[in-house]
Amino acid sequence: MDDLQRELLEDLDDDSDSSDGNSSKGSKKSKLPLVNPMCAETPKETGFHQSTRVCLEQIREALLHHRWQEAAEYMACYPQMLEDPTNGTGQPYKELIWRISTEILHHHPNSKMEDYNNIYERMKHSGVRHYLMICLEHSFHLLLIGHIEDAKHQLSVAESWRHGKESAAQYQRIKLIHAYRSLLDYIIWCDKKFTRSNTEYPDSGDNQDMHNYFRQASVNLKEILKNPGVWDPFILSYVEMLEFYEDHEEALKVLNDYAYDSTFPPNPNAHVYLYQYLKRHDTSERKLMKVLKILHVLVPSHELMLEYSSLLLQSEKRSDIQKALGVVMEMLDFACWRSNLDVWERLKSIIQKLQLQEDWKDVVSGQMAARKDWWPALHFTSFHASKDSEENPELMKVKAPLTKILCPDLMLKYTASQVTSGE
Amino acid sequence: MDEEQTAGYREPCGVCSAVDWGVSDEGRFYCRSCHNVIERTREVVDPTFTPGSSRISTIGRGTRTKRPERGRQWVICEGFQFILRNQANALLKLGVSPRFKDEVLCQLWRIYLQKSRQAYTNNPVRTATFKVRGQDSDSDSAAEMSVLSASETDGDTNASSTAGSIAGSSSDWSQCSGSLDAASYLSARLRRSRHGLMSMKKTLALLHLALVWIQEPLTLSDLLRLVNEGHVPYVNAYEELPEEMKLKGKDALIFRVESVPSHRAVHKEAQTLILFLQLPAFPPISQQSLLHPALLSLRYLMDANLPDDLHPWVCRVMECAGMADQALHTFNRLLRPVLPRYDLQTAALIIVTMKLVFGLDDHTEWDLSNEAADQDATGNAFSVRRWFRLVQTALTSAQRRREQHVARKQWTARKPLHPNSKKKCVVMKRKRIAEQLQICFEKLSSRPAGAEQDAPSSFRFCWGDGDGADGPSMHQQQLDAAVTLQRDVLTPSNSTYWHPSLRACKPRKCRSHYSAVEDTLPRSFVWLLRLFCFLLDVPPESLYEETLRTERRLTGHRRRRNREEEEGEERGTGRKRRKRRGKREEQGGRGGRGGGREKNREDVSMVTGVVTWNDHESEDEDAERTKTVWSDLGAANGR
Repeated sequence: MDDLQRELLEDLDDDSDSSDGNSSKGSKKSKLPLVNPMCAETPKETGFHQSTRVCLEQIREALLHHRWQEAAEYMACYPQMLEDPTNGTGQPYKELIWRISTEILHHHPNSKMEDYNNIYERMKHSGVRHYLMICLEHSFHLLLIGHIEDAKHQLSVAESWRHGKESAAQYQRIKLIHAYRSLLDYIIWCDKKFTRSNTEYPDSGDNQDMHNYFRQASVNLKEILKNPGVWDPFILSYVEMLEFYEDHEEALKVLNDYAYDSTFPPNPNAHVYLYQYLKRHDTSERKLMKVLKILHVLVPSHELMLEYSSLLLQSEKRSDIQKALGVVMEMLDFACWRSNLDVWERLKSIIQKLQLQEDWKDVVSGQMAARKDWWPALHFTSFHASKDSEENPELMKVKAPLTKILCPDLMLKYTASQVTSGE
Repeated sequence: MDEEQTAGYREPCGVCSAVDWGVSDEGRFYCRSCHNVIERTREVVDPTFTPGSSRISTIGRGTRTKRPERGRQWVICEGFQFILRNQANALLKLGVSPRFKDEVLCQLWRIYLQKSRQAYTNNPVRTATFKVRGQDSDSDSAAEMSVLSASETDGDTNASSTAGSIAGSSSDWSQCSGSLDAASYLSARLRRSRHGLMSMKKTLALLHLALVWIQEPLTLSDLLRLVNEGHVPYVNAYEELPEEMKLKGKDALIFRVESVPSHRAVHKEAQTLILFLQLPAFPPISQQSLLHPALLSLRYLMDANLPDDLHPWVCRVMECAGMADQALHTFNRLLRPVLPRYDLQTAALIIVTMKLVFGLDDHTEWDLSNEAADQDATGNAFSVRRWFRLVQTALTSAQRRREQHVARKQWTARKPLHPNSKKKCVVMKRKRIAEQLQICFEKLSSRPAGAEQDAPSSFRFCWGDGDGADGPSMHQQQLDAAVTLQRDVLTPSNSTYWHPSLRACKPRKCRSHYSAVEDTLPRSFVWLLRLFCFLLDVPPESLYEETLRTERRLTGHRRRRNREEEEGEERGTGRKRRKRRGKREEQGGRGGRGGGREKNREDVSMVTGVVTWNDHESEDEDAERTKTVWSDLGAANGR
């Protein structure tokens, strides 16, 4: 029977425009991936589809030219696409309508919160596939305008939403929803903490309330953070709450897991957070150096490398001074540190300390061996000389003597007229 | 107040049989005489209500025993009858002659029912137990049609009385909804055993035939435009059916419309229908009829802002092409079984005239415009250049308006129809969502969705000095530069006429070659073609073919015969004819000049060198023929 109906529908379609010669018929189909096949004109197009196609084109034009009023006018005519009598093509259009609608609302001068709520609710319930994403976006929008409680409510609703079998994508989204809900708990917790610190005599009820939020958030976060991923803001908020309740063991465990669990994607921030935590709690320098050593491997140009080098410099071991030299020189390999006074000064002090050792020349030349052919161009040209003397004479003073030490056998142009006169 | 709310609900109360309904505060219907409350409720439409924002959910307790809505038994052709009636009423409101509905359309409809054996027959097509009419009238011949003056389609008949007469007795209020014979209708369609079954497209074809019969100055393109603009119900026309006629299931496949059919499709349908109905000869369409190109061209000239002075030339071209004859424009099953396309023919005639007078080869018309500008002392000379600029501006903005109209057009019905009743709730839900989105953006943009309805007009453009005009009128301007007086005879100063290859195509195999040759045609010609295509809302291919047809007529029959022979040879050698475009120039004869003959021959033989035609002989004959056209033209205007 279904076949029959399909045939009939085709038959009815046939009636429309089949006989009108179509000039685009002969054109070859492009092999390139089409950007937007939704807008393509088909040779056998019904009037309904022509209208919606042209309407979408008009909306697109208006959006591209930021004519939001016009876009809203056409958008009022477009939702009939949802009622497309030919089945099966609805899905992409739902997403299209959802995204275009919110885009127009973002920019239209008259858009109100109730419009947003309306659109989001409508689109949420138009199909199951985008439900969670729209919930998330809805709560983001509420957050953006400061309605934290409403945003949290949205996420709680989404949390309790179930529909049939959860597909893999939806499973991920549910986790996201959990995570963001807990983050909002944290934000509310922060607010409470702030108001409590402002009142002189906090009563126990407030405390209890605050603790409830902590508990809600921590239960979720603890679960979420077990999943491999990049959870930076969530980790930070979780650790902050744990620190507040002085659960240092848990905090340290969470941070360590985040940094050292091999199933997680490599994430320099994980080590940074761990380092910062350890530093806040006055851990021994050895442990700090251990964290920074790994960070050094991951990101040699990280700004914490300055601290790493100073830690190495302070240590008593001879090899650590050589390590410090390596760390700073690796930083200077990166253009971003090229004209940073601190780094050059650190290099200077390292070399000064190194010079107390006998074999310092070998150490320096060993480090410079691979850099000999490109450091002069990176740091020590006459252009750098004139630039540094103009913008940063201090740097010039630090850098100039170092050139002799780093590249003793090269005639460098960095020691330009001003410098020689200084000498 | 209650009267409004009960919306004319006129069923007797089940308890006391009184017809006196009120609506309670809860929206329920109650009988005011016995206070019996019935199932029926008033539907409250509250656009501000947004489900989902409220936190109420209902848990259903199984299916409640649903009582099907009451509807009466009906058959598909009844539905079409109501739709046709509504369409006819709309046309009457637009000013069509009052004879149209009862005297013409109604009769055509009856003939149709009879020929398709759906009614007025001893041998009905349906096997259903349902009987169409109690009386078995002896209405076999078309001549006796007028005997049946039953007023089924008349506006004053109300639907329930028809229902009573058809269903036999009022106790037959059935529990079923949807038409009775949708399934058989569709299966019959599928079998393609007969082409006689009604379709929405056929309603338009029928309207067109009726309009031609009474010679209303409404061409097919006008009718389609009225349909497109919503002045004649077509899209979602089923919504206007009486309340008791419930559409359900397969009815959707028959009544739902997703496109307004094209000019070509409706014409084809009308052509089939006219043969199917075996209509007698149509009333002759004489030169005085508004459908005849002689008068129709006046309207088109006006719409295109061309000077009235061109009209005599159009008429002359028409005569020379043998198209003035009323027999050509009148349908006659025996003599001329082809339904003419008045609009296309007339537009083609104007295009040919423009080519004749102005050349339209991308040179002549501009030279003539320069001359017109030079000679123009009074400011009243028609210049193609000025006309082009003026019309081009108007055309661009009109095209943009039309595009906007298309973009804003709403197709969906208030009561959605879906062939699969299981999916109905899904459809309803989608509809609700779409409506709420629409309302939201309507509020935001403070502009209602949907296309604005312009007042219906026969003209696309408005030329003159008034408000809202597309530009100044050029109707009164004179063709001074383009037409000169030679030996007391008005003759176009343009002496050449070009046309593409005029070989006739194989009627079924070849489609339009327009897309292949478009790039090689002069731009001004293509532009003019597109202007008229816009006016008539037809694709350029159709008008191009019609222009070629007119040119073939103009150059004569003998030529066509030669060409067919030649084509046969060509086919043998396997040459692709579509590649060859013969842009040939013919030297037009100076009308009425005696000594011109020798010169003509010279010119022509000179020209034939570059022409792709093979047979020089027919070339000469062509020239001869064209020359006579010219002399005729000259004579006509000199008189």
